Amino acid sequence: MTHPSVLEKQTTEPEQNTDIGLLDTRETDFYKTDGGFTGLRYKGKTFPRVSFRRALPIGKPDSYISVADDENKEIGIIRDIGDLSHTQRDVVREDLAKRYFCPSVQSVKSVKDKMGYVYMELILTGAGTTYEKSCAINDVNRNIRMIDGSRLLIFDVDGNRYIIENIQALDKKSMSRLEPYMF
Amino acid sequence: MDMRPASGRVRLDERGLMTVSREGETLYELNACQVKEALVLGGVGCGLVFFKMEDAGERVICRFTMSAFKQAGEFCKLVNYYRQTGHAAFPDEPEVSICPQCGRPLMEGLSICLFCYNKMTVIRRAASMLRPFRRPLITAELILVFSSLLYLLVPIFNRILIDDYLTPMQGTFSNILTLAGAMLLVRVVGEILFIFCSRMYNRAGMLYTDNLRNVAYGKMQRMSMNALAKRTPGDLIRRVMEDTATVKDFLINDGRFGVEMLLTFLVVLVILFFTDWRLTLLVFLPIPLVMMVLSRFWRLIYIRYERQWRKGSRANSILHDIIRGIRTVKSFGNEEQEIKKFARVSRELAEVSSANERMWATLFPSLTFITGIGEFLALYFGGRAILAGDMSLGVLVQFVMYIGYIYNPLRWLVSFPRRLADTLTGLVKVFEIVDEKPDIREIDHPRDVPLTGALTFENVSFGYKSYEPVLKDVSIRIEPGEMIGIVGRSGVGKSTMINLAMRLYDPGLGAIRIGDTDIRDMSLKHLHEQMGVVFQDTFLFVGTIYDNIAYAKPGADVQEVIAACKAANAHDFIMQTADGYQTMIGESGYSLSGGERQRLAIARAVIKNPSIMILDEATSSLDAETESAVQEGLMRLTKGRMTIAIAHRLSTLRRANRIIVLDKGGIAESGTHYELMRMKGIYYGLVVAQRKMFSSGSASAPDIEPAP
Repeated sequence: MTHPSVLEKQTTEPEQNTDIGLLDTRETDFYKTDGGFTGLRYKGKTFPRVSFRRALPIGKPDSYISVADDENKEIGIIRDIGDLSHTQRDVVREDLAKRYFCPSVQSVKSVKDKMGYVYMELILTGAGTTYEKSCAINDVNRNIRMIDGSRLLIFDVDGNRYIIENIQALDKKSMSRLEPYMF
Repeated sequence: MDMRPASGRVRLDERGLMTVSREGETLYELNACQVKEALVLGGVGCGLVFFKMEDAGERVICRFTMSAFKQAGEFCKLVNYYRQTGHAAFPDEPEVSICPQCGRPLMEGLSICLFCYNKMTVIRRAASMLRPFRRPLITAELILVFSSLLYLLVPIFNRILIDDYLTPMQGTFSNILTLAGAMLLVRVVGEILFIFCSRMYNRAGMLYTDNLRNVAYGKMQRMSMNALAKRTPGDLIRRVMEDTATVKDFLINDGRFGVEMLLTFLVVLVILFFTDWRLTLLVFLPIPLVMMVLSRFWRLIYIRYERQWRKGSRANSILHDIIRGIRTVKSFGNEEQEIKKFARVSRELAEVSSANERMWATLFPSLTFITGIGEFLALYFGGRAILAGDMSLGVLVQFVMYIGYIYNPLRWLVSFPRRLADTLTGLVKVFEIVDEKPDIREIDHPRDVPLTGALTFENVSFGYKSYEPVLKDVSIRIEPGEMIGIVGRSGVGKSTMINLAMRLYDPGLGAIRIGDTDIRDMSLKHLHEQMGVVFQDTFLFVGTIYDNIAYAKPGADVQEVIAACKAANAHDFIMQTADGYQTMIGESGYSLSGGERQRLAIARAVIKNPSIMILDEATSSLDAETESAVQEGLMRLTKGRMTIAIAHRLSTLRRANRIIVLDKGGIAESGTHYELMRMKGIYYGLVVAQRKMFSSGSASAPDIEPAP
């Protein structure tokens, strides 16, 4: 039996815990290290190498960015990159660009289905450059994924990923080549 | 910083000089002696190589796309190997994922490129396995050819009927009856021969597949853990069952009908040419178009129906998922949401199916029309020839009937390449298993040394993947009769150590010895016979309890089995069941509790009377009460025997003579429980954390003794 003193009448709705360890962006000082990494000075502590991870990489790439130390322990979360000063923003963006590489598909030049693989020749834009790439996709059901009504992600056998930001904006030929493989 | 994608190269030469270049231009050089460790840092869609330098700094060397991930890992391994040994030689074969010939990615688990392999070699090899079935297959094929040729008589009978009896109105009833009888006889004899040959073909096909399946399965059993771990259970099952079945289907269907179809085609072609070569050429005029349309049509159908199949399979898996998790759905009150989710997928399936049916309904009649164009041409020009008196009606009927005989082989020919490709893929996958060279190889004359000496790890380094080292330079000596406990966080390499001790894998660097003998010089069978293992997830085979215990020692007598179960504290619960030691367990048999399973596993280890005992989280999944019952059994088993035990629950290790703590790929702490507690290091932290966890209300607090 529960002890009577433990029982307390619940009168209000239970309070929801929303503390996610947001960083106080007024006190963050991200800096580039000589070795090519990013370091952080925060509230009197120095972290010589930090890494950034997006919580919502596809929908909100600039919001909720986790900052972890060199042992992958989370230091805190940046609510939005916009909360940082301009120079700080550039440092974080540059580091994020090093961690996330997902070129966007401009057009689909050819699609061939052979021996269980789908071979594609894509025109891609990534990090400011447009280039052509051939890739192979295994198990199209799993590796060509509609994210929402308009975005499509393609994963190749090596683990590279390519995004079509707006499937409706794709040219007709590319669309007709890709269409049989979209589920 | 320039972030644009570019092609670059990172190179290490024999003198330890590293060169980093971009688009052919050298960016900088570095000596490997300045590097403490080379590491790969995985990102999303890319990664980077960085060095921890001797001067404590860290330096990014290059970024790469995922296509270069393995090469980057191999490079780091090479640099680290150079740092340890001073040589740039490669310790083992690099993992290959791209065909060196065409650059295409290799299919998962395959080391042969399906585009570049020699198809004839595979066909010849598969054909050579047909040798034992040569006689029935040739007999069946001859019978089939004979029955097909019989059917070719039917149009000739028709011609005789029309030209000799009906058109001149000269035939008698007996003439017509004879012809009808002949046609009936051809059909009856043809069908009987067909049944006979199908039975012979099926039997030979089944025996051939049985042979192929057994060769593949036998080989799979002898494969090393490393080779097995590269493939999923599903992949192996598919190779042994489905790929061999594809080969069988091809043999029974295409092998059987292929010869017959080709022969029919050629014979009919000759007859047509001899009947009227000009008309034959006309009939063949649309054939290239027909072939092209058929080939396009089948490809389209294939893609469309595959899409429908995928949609169906998705609806199926969603339904399966929801039904399995119906308790969760109801407890969150999400029924409406799930109904909507399924309705959406179901609608998509309906739309795709309906589109496919529409396409089928439109395309099929059009296709039939195109394939029939030849007949129209024959009828038109043949009709004109009849009117001109150059051809008889019977000959035209015979001609048109033979045209019909040509379309079957053509249709078959159109889809033949795809089926041949599927079969060859299946064969390649099966042969790959058969040809797999074991990476755990015995030396020519392995030694059967009794495992009585100390077990020594000498500077052992190992990683399941070349770019992810798990153990780095581990050295330890375990004396006979000693019980060693291994602790550390998940993924730190505890199980890897025992996998290496059992020689399920070979270390990348260093050696493991028992006494003075390297375990690589011992026979695997002998080594495994003298080791007993109890895992966390005990696997029991479908069969009786008796069979499962005796599995470890085939031929063990009843007394030995009962004695082992008594020692393992299993006898009492076994005797509570109606069938005692003959209780069926495994799938759909008597369901055992976790504690019962573990006790059977211990009994299985006891009956072997091993020299070295390995306990891999043997009691982790049990509650405290059950654990104490199992512990008793374990205590009897490990007494006076070299024992290596891994445990999360530290209380399990209280009897260990020594505990080693693994951290970051190496031995961080080593000593008795008390020594480690006094050290106040990682082990102390683990004990304190567990004590806190159990003292906060759990009744099953383990008795971890404090340091004195």
